[in-house]
Amino acid sequence: MTGTGAPTLFDGVANTIAVVVLLLEFLMLRAAMLRAQVRLYAIQSLVVSVLAAVVAAGRDVPELYVLAVVSFLMKAVIVPWLILRLLRDASAEIAGSGVLSVASEVLLAIVVAAFGFFTVNTLDIHSDVLPATALSVAFAVVLVAFVLIIMRRDVVSQAVGFFSLENGVSMVSLVVAAGMPLILEVAFLFDLLVAVVVFGVLMRVHHGRTRSLSTIELTRLRG
Amino acid sequence: MTTLELTPPVIQATQVLTIAVGAPLITGVIARVEAMLQGRHGPRVLQPYSDLAKLFRKESLAPRGTGPFFLAAPFVAMACYLTVPLLIPVLTSYALPLGFMGDILGGGFVLALASFVVAVAAAETGDSYAQLGSSRAKTFGAITEPVVLLVVFTVAIVTATDLPYVLGATVRSSPDQIVRPAHLLASAALFMVILFETGRIPIETHTGTTELGMIEEARPFEHSGPYFAVLKWGSMAKQLILFTLLLNVFVAPWGMAATRDVGGVLLAVVLLLAKSCVLGGVIAVIDDSFAKLRLFKITEFVAAAFLLAILAIFTLYLGGG
Repeated sequence: MTGTGAPTLFDGVANTIAVVVLLLEFLMLRAAMLRAQVRLYAIQSLVVSVLAAVVAAGRDVPELYVLAVVSFLMKAVIVPWLILRLLRDASAEIAGSGVLSVASEVLLAIVVAAFGFFTVNTLDIHSDVLPATALSVAFAVVLVAFVLIIMRRDVVSQAVGFFSLENGVSMVSLVVAAGMPLILEVAFLFDLLVAVVVFGVLMRVHHGRTRSLSTIELTRLRG
Repeated sequence: MTTLELTPPVIQATQVLTIAVGAPLITGVIARVEAMLQGRHGPRVLQPYSDLAKLFRKESLAPRGTGPFFLAAPFVAMACYLTVPLLIPVLTSYALPLGFMGDILGGGFVLALASFVVAVAAAETGDSYAQLGSSRAKTFGAITEPVVLLVVFTVAIVTATDLPYVLGATVRSSPDQIVRPAHLLASAALFMVILFETGRIPIETHTGTTELGMIEEARPFEHSGPYFAVLKWGSMAKQLILFTLLLNVFVAPWGMAATRDVGGVLLAVVLLLAKSCVLGGVIAVIDDSFAKLRLFKITEFVAAAFLLAILAIFTLYLGGG
């Protein structure tokens, strides 16, 4: 007796990797230490690179191997290393608590992720490279990253949220445009490097002005 | 040459006996592994049997003002725990006659009845710690219940039934069924529920003596002698039942008897205990590598399990689970 509509082995593996990326995003929501958050981002980037490599192997798209290696070097090694260096200068350890408690944040993120899941599912996008579920999951990653950016009140979490949002976007691009020219993908990755520089400057200036990484004090423009 | 065949009722009785007799062994193995990981020598693996034998020989006292329910509760709970092995695949991969008496949900209800009876008995004593334990067990039990339900729903969507035998057969049928995200997520969620239900780290310390952090462990405080022994034995049996459910239905439904001959069934007994020892080893490692959560952080643990279970449902609905 077999179950109803089990996906093929390749689809199952790809979906599972996509779900792991989403779970890591949820873990970022509850990580209390800044370093832990950066580490989670590095792991998430690693998993996204693995997904690229799996697609390359399973669907025979050799240029995705290059993308996997480049994105691993950029997002799992260089970017986390840069953020950790900035953190060492700032000498802050603990991210302030979010607006909500962790359990409520997770429940809220589940609702948001569900919204992402089902809206994308109704769009009826199909790709011949990855199953459509991976697209829905990638969309959920983007939305949960937004929740992370909105709910956390420290610059580092917001920056990490932004970078992991980029992870979600690159997963979307793997699904809908796996054959995208490599030069475009690499251009996106260097875009990310620019974002890291900008966030680095933001973190330094913010830390220099308020002596903390929290954004709670930023109320001067409030009416 | 003919092989000796067992009749289904005998196999069914063997399932119950395996759980009842094997449960203290698994507890002993976990305690031993835990001790070894902490650099201690630890008690003998068979120590829980001696503990139970000792308790059965002791006199029993009941607090003043408790009624017959207090004394009946351990036996009702034990009866519940020994009913569940009739429903789930313990030794055989094919369904035994009474296997269709109840589905996963039915087994869950029977376990819940046992936990309810113990909680009521604890509440009857008037002892503050026992009452605290039973009230906490019920509070957190209420928030883990949705996780269990979602896991059952996942099983129901995957197999179109909620019989544990069918899910086991589905998992065995092909590797496609194992790597599907819904299956992995539901198994992980169930594992977290089992950590909660068996009172392991990160929910509570299993062997500790700090009453304020206790949940499950605090409930039999007022029972003594044979009654306490039956309660302890019951919680060991519950642990092995949950392990069996996870192993033989979700994670590793291999190595069960497919026929009725004696050799196969005996081999299945040995393999089940071996698999449970491995799972117990994993749980002992978790026990030693994490700290106990503060009481109000338990909701976060349950929220994580809930997340896993609900993602399983989502991916299934999207057609990719």
